[in-house]
Amino acid sequence: MNAALEHALQDWYPIAMLGELAPGERKQSRVLGIDVTVLANDSADETDSTPPITVRAEGAPVHVQQAFDHWWVCLGNAPKPLFSIEEAGEADRRFVPCGVVRVACSPLRAVENFLDIAHFPFVHTGVLGAEPHTEVYKYDVKVDETRDEVIATNIKFYQPQAAKSAEGGIQTEYIYRVPAPMAAVLYKTCPLKPEAMDVIALFVQPLDEQTCDVWPWMALYDDTSTQAELIQFQQLIFLQDRSILENQLPKKLPIDPGHEIPTKADYTSVAYRRWLKKRGAYYGALEAQP
Amino acid sequence: MTTQPVSLSRDLAEKQVMRAELSDVDMAVWRSASGVVSAWENRCPHRGMRLSHGFVRGESLACAYHGWHYNCEGACHYIPAHPELEPPKTIKANLYNVTEASGIIWVNAVGTVSPVTLPSNTQAVRSVSVHCSLEIAAQAFKDYCSLSPITANTRTEVVSESPYVLALKAPLPANSPTPSMQDKSNPVSVFIALQRVNQTTTVAHITASEHASETDCIALSRWANKVRTHAEVSVGSTE
Ligand code: FES
Ligand SMILES: [Fe+2]
Repeated sequence: MNAALEHALQDWYPIAMLGELAPGERKQSRVLGIDVTVLANDSADETDSTPPITVRAEGAPVHVQQAFDHWWVCLGNAPKPLFSIEEAGEADRRFVPCGVVRVACSPLRAVENFLDIAHFPFVHTGVLGAEPHTEVYKYDVKVDETRDEVIATNIKFYQPQAAKSAEGGIQTEYIYRVPAPMAAVLYKTCPLKPEAMDVIALFVQPLDEQTCDVWPWMALYDDTSTQAELIQFQQLIFLQDRSILENQLPKKLPIDPGHEIPTKADYTSVAYRRWLKKRGAYYGALEAQP
Repeated sequence: MTTQPVSLSRDLAEKQVMRAELSDVDMAVWRSASGVVSAWENRCPHRGMRLSHGFVRGESLACAYHGWHYNCEGACHYIPAHPELEPPKTIKANLYNVTEASGIIWVNAVGTVSPVTLPSNTQAVRSVSVHCSLEIAAQAFKDYCSLSPITANTRTEVVSESPYVLALKAPLPANSPTPSMQDKSNPVSVFIALQRVNQTTTVAHITASEHASETDCIALSRWANKVRTHAEVSVGSTE
């Protein structure tokens, strides 16, 4: 087995939303090129020890856990711990799993796009950005050694409609975290509660190196919009991203410098690529692991 | 690689950008506000976005992803994320040689562009995409002329060394209501320039003599549909 796959097998990936499948229902899916079957078990009574869900890869059950309103799977034999999002425990937030969007691109490209702000005025025109407010001001990026995560802070960007709940343009502040190669979490100014930050995460299920299912999830302060409105807003944004992601060449992410040309605005992406390289997370990367 | 057609000039207006594929090379072809045509590798040097999704502003092509602007020489001259920055000269799109002649845009992805010489006084008829190899498409266009009932005044001529261009004289079936085609003293010529998109797709760019009437062009357009069917059926039957 190749090293990139072996490495990726030890991470956790979303496979379904909680409650997506009715008891007894099953669905077929794929993780890292391996076919999997997801079965929602019929548990007759509460004392029954049958887990609510069973996922099998090539017939054998794999590790399953629930977090952030999703079921997660790990197909490896030595699972790493799943990252945490503290805000998932804050009871006054609205939790919004947004469903799934299939994208014909490397899972790493999907994450990298999520970390990018310079595209807002061009891809999410009139919503997350608008010309002439295109400048990306200097921000800070580092790798948090204790959590082993890429963190970008002090990002500020002008947004015409930063969220469903926003009335008119605001200067939005962002923080980004990359807690796993195929997951990213952002914190952004909450229009209805300026002292707090909304949380939006992108959980990526790698179907293979050039196809992924993306599961956006939000933990917001918004008591005015309906769940459907919030999901629709996020889906609209993500479909705009998909039109980009499916047209990047090559489909796999080049993680060695030299293939593509970054500027200061791309420090998060540069740090992400370095961090992937350092940890040997080459699944979905253009280069083979050295 | 030889020089190949990528579009009828008519079909790429000012400030438009289109995607073209040539023997598996993916390109962005665009025309500036003043009319300059460029053909580039379809990949933005920044983050690999297909430039054919971009938009033209004046004499620049801007990328759809982060709006980097490239001038007609391919040099990036504006990065919206850093409006004050003068982009380094090294940031450049990958250019192919391109030219316009006889109402057709011609490109050579690897060398000098040298279009087949055709009369300059032609008019655009249409482009038609055929699901077969270039060789089969070329054969179909030739066959269909000699098979037609008017072989008497039909002459198929391959006018270039390469198999990319065919010139036909009055290739229309006799039953087409096109009197001007029957005029032997001043026959309508038809030019078919073939673009190899890949092994299984060919695009035929069709032009005709300037004096061809609108009816002639409509008849030619229908004829091209028949040739396409003929070519695709012959592919189907050999598979
Ligand atoms: S990919 Fe073209 S500007 Fe960023
Ligand atoms: Fe986006």
